[in-house]
Amino acid sequence: MASKQYKSIGEDLWKGRTEKINAELFALTYGALVVQLIQDYEDYDEVNKQLEKMGYNIGTRLIEDFLAKSNFGRCSDFKEVGEAVAKVGFKSFLNITPIVTHGAPPSSPRPQSTGTVQSISQTTSGSFFVLTLDDNPLAEFVELPEEALEGRLWFSNVLCGVIRGALEMVQLQVKAEFISDVLRGDENTEIRVTLVKYLEEEVPVGDD
Amino acid sequence: MSTPTLTSLSTPSQSLIDAHLMDYFLIELVATLRTSAGVAQKRQRKVESEMRDAGLVAVPAAGNNPPNEKKKDRERDRESREGSARDSVTSLSSTKGGSHKQPNKDKDPLDEEDEPVRQRLEAIGVHVGANVAERLSATRPPFTDTLDAIKFICKDVWAACWDKQIDNLRTNHRGIYVLQDNAFSPITRLSSHISRSDAVRRAKIYAHLPAGIIKGVLTRLGVSSSTSSTTSSTSTSTTSANANASGSNHTSSAAGGGGVSVTPEISSMPQCTFQVKLPKGS
Repeated sequence: MASKQYKSIGEDLWKGRTEKINAELFALTYGALVVQLIQDYEDYDEVNKQLEKMGYNIGTRLIEDFLAKSNFGRCSDFKEVGEAVAKVGFKSFLNITPIVTHGAPPSSPRPQSTGTVQSISQTTSGSFFVLTLDDNPLAEFVELPEEALEGRLWFSNVLCGVIRGALEMVQLQVKAEFISDVLRGDENTEIRVTLVKYLEEEVPVGDD
Repeated sequence: MSTPTLTSLSTPSQSLIDAHLMDYFLIELVATLRTSAGVAQKRQRKVESEMRDAGLVAVPAAGNNPPNEKKKDRERDRESREGSARDSVTSLSSTKGGSHKQPNKDKDPLDEEDEPVRQRLEAIGVHVGANVAERLSATRPPFTDTLDAIKFICKDVWAACWDKQIDNLRTNHRGIYVLQDNAFSPITRLSSHISRSDAVRRAKIYAHLPAGIIKGVLTRLGVSSSTSSTTSSTSTSTTSANANASGSNHTSSAAGGGGVSVTPEISSMPQCTFQVKLPKGS
């Protein structure tokens, strides 16, 4: 599917969503939650993990919601997955469209945005795409203190969990992690999503 | 990033997100807080027992107002560890004494377990409510009286949070307001395979965040009140604001500090009521 189509699908889905609420509310609630978690766990790595776990649970539900509303077909390769996540997924829930850059596994020569097309089942583990978020709705009112910066807190780590949870429900095991964050003083906010493996549908034991 | 133009600074655009995402997020938020509250309590109990073993702390009486202090400590010095001694004393009292102070006097084990979660949810709600109040009321004319502020909550705040308004507002004109929501968004899709009343019981925890929001809004708007939310078996959420003596209520009941008390109540499923108590004279 052409990239433009994804974009228009994303926009249609967003417009079609009848119930929308103020993003600031989300940002405020999320921020208060992160503060509470930091106080409870007193360990930034653990907070990162908890945020990711929370995101995973949310992602597993979001994908159902997404598929129910959108009638989206199967992606033919990992590159399409990246496009779909950025242009349709993020757009229809958060009303933002991160920029996607694709990359192939490190062993093969590295093409940039117009990457090689491989079918999902042939995709070697290690293919990745990077989402660059121009504006992060979660970080609207946020400034990280010294401690959090030193402690390597990824404030919006819930987004990584959402991506991982949602893609796992469509048989893609991925690793999603932040590589940079403006809250930490970096230039942009980037999430790298790397394919670990394609999950085969498993037939439950006892079935024919 | 390009420099924003003057126009965009003066009239900030309202960015929106999907409401379903928010619903899922709130559900997961409660679950996450349960886990983290458990971890925090375990750690504090360990510190307490160590301190007691070292003879540094006497076994505390459940006399003071631990839940409030704990919350305020949390809000004020989250980075410093100096509060830890105080916290550990208060947390011990709060785990033992907190449930005794709860206005509902519900001896339901689920409620007692959930007391720390309830406090956290309310604290988050207060934070959210205060900020939402500031942002929403910035472009409005100032509030004429308390009723005006309550109406603001029923219309603007509720609409901003859940895309609908409070269905029913009652008052006794003496500082108690009851806000009723017939289809309270966070609990509309909750059900239990055990029984309806079980669903109602489990749904209760979700009403504490909005109770906190109401409290936060009122406090930030200068109306000191206490809110309690009750979820009734029909989907009404009533918030009644009670008026305690203003100013002297930094040590109020377990529902929270600041003189505002909000009690949520669910008696039947999608209906939730919040009882807001405002201090007299505000």
